[in-house]
Amino acid sequence: MSIFKKKASCHETVSVAASGARKVALVGNPNVGKSVLFNALTGAYVTVSNYPGTSVEVARGNAVIDGVQYEVIDTPGMYSILPITEEERVAREILLNERPHLVIHVLDARNLERMLPMTLQLIEAELPLVLVVNIMDEAARLGLEIDIPELSRRLGIPVIGAATAKKVGLSEIRAAIASVHPVTAPVPRYAPELEEDLAEITELLRGEYILSRKAMALLLLQGDTEVAELVAKLEGDRYGTLEACVREKRFKRRDSFHLDLSLERKAIVQKVLDGTFRVPAVRPVTWSERLSRLTLRPITGVPLLIVVLYYGLYKFVGEFGAGTLVDLLEGKVFEEWFNPWITGVVNNLIPWEIIRELFVGEYGVITLGMRYAVGIILPIVATFFLFFSMLEDSGYFPRLALLVDRIFKKVGLTGRAVIPMVLGFGCDTMATMVTRTLETVRERVIATLLLALAIPCSAQLGVILALLSKAPGALAVWLGCLLLIFLLVGLLAARVLPGETPMFYMELPPMRLPQWSNVLTKTVSRMQWYFMEILPLFIVASVLLWLGKITHFFEKMVDAMTPVMGALGLPKETAVSFIFGFFRRDYGAAGLYDLQTKGILNPRQLTVAAVTLTLFIPCVAQFLIMKKERGWKVSLSIGLFVSTFAFGSGWVLNQVLLATGIL
Amino acid sequence: MRCGFCGYEFREEEGNQGCSSCPMSSGCKMIKCPRCNYENPPEPKMIKTVKKLFRRGGTPK
Repeated sequence: MSIFKKKASCHETVSVAASGARKVALVGNPNVGKSVLFNALTGAYVTVSNYPGTSVEVARGNAVIDGVQYEVIDTPGMYSILPITEEERVAREILLNERPHLVIHVLDARNLERMLPMTLQLIEAELPLVLVVNIMDEAARLGLEIDIPELSRRLGIPVIGAATAKKVGLSEIRAAIASVHPVTAPVPRYAPELEEDLAEITELLRGEYILSRKAMALLLLQGDTEVAELVAKLEGDRYGTLEACVREKRFKRRDSFHLDLSLERKAIVQKVLDGTFRVPAVRPVTWSERLSRLTLRPITGVPLLIVVLYYGLYKFVGEFGAGTLVDLLEGKVFEEWFNPWITGVVNNLIPWEIIRELFVGEYGVITLGMRYAVGIILPIVATFFLFFSMLEDSGYFPRLALLVDRIFKKVGLTGRAVIPMVLGFGCDTMATMVTRTLETVRERVIATLLLALAIPCSAQLGVILALLSKAPGALAVWLGCLLLIFLLVGLLAARVLPGETPMFYMELPPMRLPQWSNVLTKTVSRMQWYFMEILPLFIVASVLLWLGKITHFFEKMVDAMTPVMGALGLPKETAVSFIFGFFRRDYGAAGLYDLQTKGILNPRQLTVAAVTLTLFIPCVAQFLIMKKERGWKVSLSIGLFVSTFAFGSGWVLNQVLLATGIL
Repeated sequence: MRCGFCGYEFREEEGNQGCSSCPMSSGCKMIKCPRCNYENPPEPKMIKTVKKLFRRGGTPK
């Protein structure tokens, strides 16, 4: 017996938007690429607003295809026409109330079997339908074969194979929207008993419905209260008889109707897919899966991490960004050309020495602040953000989180805290805010402490790496020290603070080659954001330093810090970098960079200064957010501990380096 | 947009932007992933405009 039955009617009444445009609704499970398709179809003029009476957002946009204007609606994710969540309810409301000219069901080619039952429901509802089998590229990589023309023939609706993220299939989708679609899809046939029951109910339905009577009957049988209310309104006096009939059928099927129906649909899907969907006998392991496994196992994951850090951070950020680019921008552009020129201009314009100092002096806004921000920090953060965005887009970060999670658990730390730790390498301030997502107060305090102490932010990390890449061996010592301190303090904090370690679970996205457009977008965006944030701060810091200089307060501070620097084995001039570090972590690091360029620091002093400065007090913004998240008591304790610990560690490291003579 | 950390796909508007308590909120436009809270940078306006121009130009008439 055929599983499908040709239906007699078709929908000709379609709704149009206020603008006169025909409506196209995109439906489907969450994360199947609906939004990507929506963006590809609409582009401009997108509006996002709450669906009336709900908190669910619906995006609408315009598309002009073959000279005809369409309103495209990106519906919330839905798994079935029978709604459970508010999102599904809104998605169905759109189908019911807005009478789309065309419904595009987007599904994931890799999960065809799981998602096709909803296609059956949409066919059954006699909606004008086009099926988009999306993510075909990933499916092909997994060795899955889908016979699209045969699938289309069996379902009786247009089926398009697509990879919307790579713009594959978009022209076919546009053509399908533009062409007229008489609804001729055969309706799925269930077991004879169920079909008889449905026939009895549909016989009693007399009203005009947007969904087919069979679909309405099925929803009534499944106990859909909204559909029951609608039917009661449209059927009027006849509803009593209908309700009694539905009640009787529901009682008869009370044991396992939902399960039986889903099994029936599954059986239909299997028949449709038989011969049209082929899974390889031996599933090929893709290179991304192989790489993914390698990154997760400690024995291969740790060496891989070292390779990534070496080529990404040391060679690209350290040697190229901080070497070649900074030499060019700071050394050539600023030192040789811009600074002498602007100094000459300012000297000619401003007769007062003290004001000239503000702009072009030792701590001048232009000669120091601008030079640090543009000449030193910008090329370093640009290369760092480029590398960071590439790693991010490849899907490596969650794997790194899982890899490090194992080590964390062994030393008594919570695995969940890995997320803010990884984020901290971007910006510690933001990462401190993210600690609020951790389950317990204990976890939050430990994570906040470690972020303040041993996780350098992107800019600081970039500059420190740039510094140390010029002194062989120093990088290894710096990295070793930070790792040791991180584990030691984490372990101690976990022992001292009472409480249990909760579970850590994370769903891994697939590893993939980063898309250049995405990477560049992120890099530009981060640089924009960073530059807007640092430039005013660097200028303010320069002004404060200038104030300090003219009032001689700065000299007093340097003098006060000289014994501390002496204890660390550092020259007096290093105190300036630590004073800079009060304003921003990277400002301090840039100060060190300056000292190194002048040849003031030897490799040992450079390493001690870099370790102390990395561990040193968090920047002002991070401290403020620590206070906000943890309160005065905890944040002050952390600030005090971090500062003392940083100088203590610097002293110990200097003694060890002097005694061993490693550097 | 796709979250850089967990790979979850979401619209910029869905991202939790409730960072008003943060002292940097006025200058920061990062968008938090609704699933894992990772902060993703938004697409710069300039790039959006350029993309839209290309999209409009690419749409068949």
